[in-house]
Amino acid sequence: MPTTARPGPDLSRAIAERDRTRGLLIAFEGPEGSGKTTQQRLLKTWLESEGHHVISSRWASSPVVKPLIKARKRLRSLSAEEYSLLHAVDFRQRLETTILPALWTGKTVIADRYLFTALARDAARGLEIDWLLQLYAPLVWPDLVVYFALKSQDSSRRVAATRAPRFYEAGQDVTGVEDPLISYRQFIGRVITEYENLALIFRFVKVNADQLVYRQHQQVRRLVQKVARRPWTEFSAEAVSEWLTRHPKLAD
Amino acid sequence: MADSTPQTGRLIAVDASRSQDLSADAEAIAMRLRARGVPCGISRWDASGLFGDLLMADRDELIVAPRTLTLLFAADLMFRLKWEIRPAIAEGHVVIAAPYVDTAVAVGVGVGLPEAWVREVLRFADAPDTRIYARERKRDQGWRTKPTRGYAEFCATLLDAAPAGLARRKGRAMSIEWLAAAAKASGSPRGRKALEALARRYGQTPGAGA
Repeated sequence: MPTTARPGPDLSRAIAERDRTRGLLIAFEGPEGSGKTTQQRLLKTWLESEGHHVISSRWASSPVVKPLIKARKRLRSLSAEEYSLLHAVDFRQRLETTILPALWTGKTVIADRYLFTALARDAARGLEIDWLLQLYAPLVWPDLVVYFALKSQDSSRRVAATRAPRFYEAGQDVTGVEDPLISYRQFIGRVITEYENLALIFRFVKVNADQLVYRQHQQVRRLVQKVARRPWTEFSAEAVSEWLTRHPKLAD
Repeated sequence: MADSTPQTGRLIAVDASRSQDLSADAEAIAMRLRARGVPCGISRWDASGLFGDLLMADRDELIVAPRTLTLLFAADLMFRLKWEIRPAIAEGHVVIAAPYVDTAVAVGVGVGLPEAWVREVLRFADAPDTRIYARERKRDQGWRTKPTRGYAEFCATLLDAAPAGLARRKGRAMSIEWLAAAAKASGSPRGRKALEALARRYGQTPGAGA
């Protein structure tokens, strides 16, 4: 039976060489209301002022896949598996067309939510974590995962202060609770539990999201200044070589 | 004396590397079953409309990877299972799922994906009662770039637009090779015996008429 091609020596060499000049991949994770987007903007501004080329990639934002997800979310007809699979499609599309090309050309990528969002949310929906990991395989490991830790009641309070949680965000598809805020309170507790488990396995760096925005930003700056690259050759070789196979000119 | 045994539904998976072959065989099976009074329906590719909707995107942005297409196939299959296949089976109907898991595996292997990964992604799919591999016609030809025709053709169209392209003929040849091996391993190349047994069983059950 034919299987996928293993990266040849040329491809491995190209990846190893590029590892020295490639951009950093920084992922921000955390529950709703933890201030990820604010911190992502602050970090982007600071890095750009330091002369770095930075792009940010938001969750479920691929121009090709976003309309598909949005239309189906509106109908509230998605099962947990479909919800999960469609977000995996969006992630793969952004990885292939935005994240990897930017990293390859030396740009820093700040991901406002990365695949850990899917692992936490979908595991909270009752899906098996090993199946979820397969959807995102082969993985491209971030060099740094910053987890903005917040208690479930604080997340609920912050979200409720500005708007009602949306149907899937509130987990109403699994809780069956009609009131979005009550459902959110139940669901986010499960999501945070999953996040806490993932934080241990994937070595997230925790930032207390209860602190002042400025203090959090200072901490994030320090983390980024001292971050060491996770070598692609060790952590992400399969994903990068698969992508390069389809873009052979880049490896020349 | 009427048989009062409750009739249970059945799932027949029909797979092929080329969508025209798939449709032709699925239709033929449905006709044979209906002629014997077996209530049956065909669950087809893109019932969810995901692939059709994807084509609405800007052509310049429509550069996708093989894994992306497999994940999309999985989302579509989940939709079919939820809305078409499982409810019909629960009502005692026979569902002909064309394509099913093996088509995605065959096409995936043809475009260079690891078989194990495709199978893992699709592991939520119910095991079919009968597997049928459609007769491969025009074996020496590659996939056509006609995205509305079927999954393999959709993949061929979009992957050809990608920078590295896809050798359609080579991909389809690998796909046929994989399907042939799978058919051999299943012990019943086209599941004809199993199908006949199914038709006989339903044909003898009163009230099973369409």
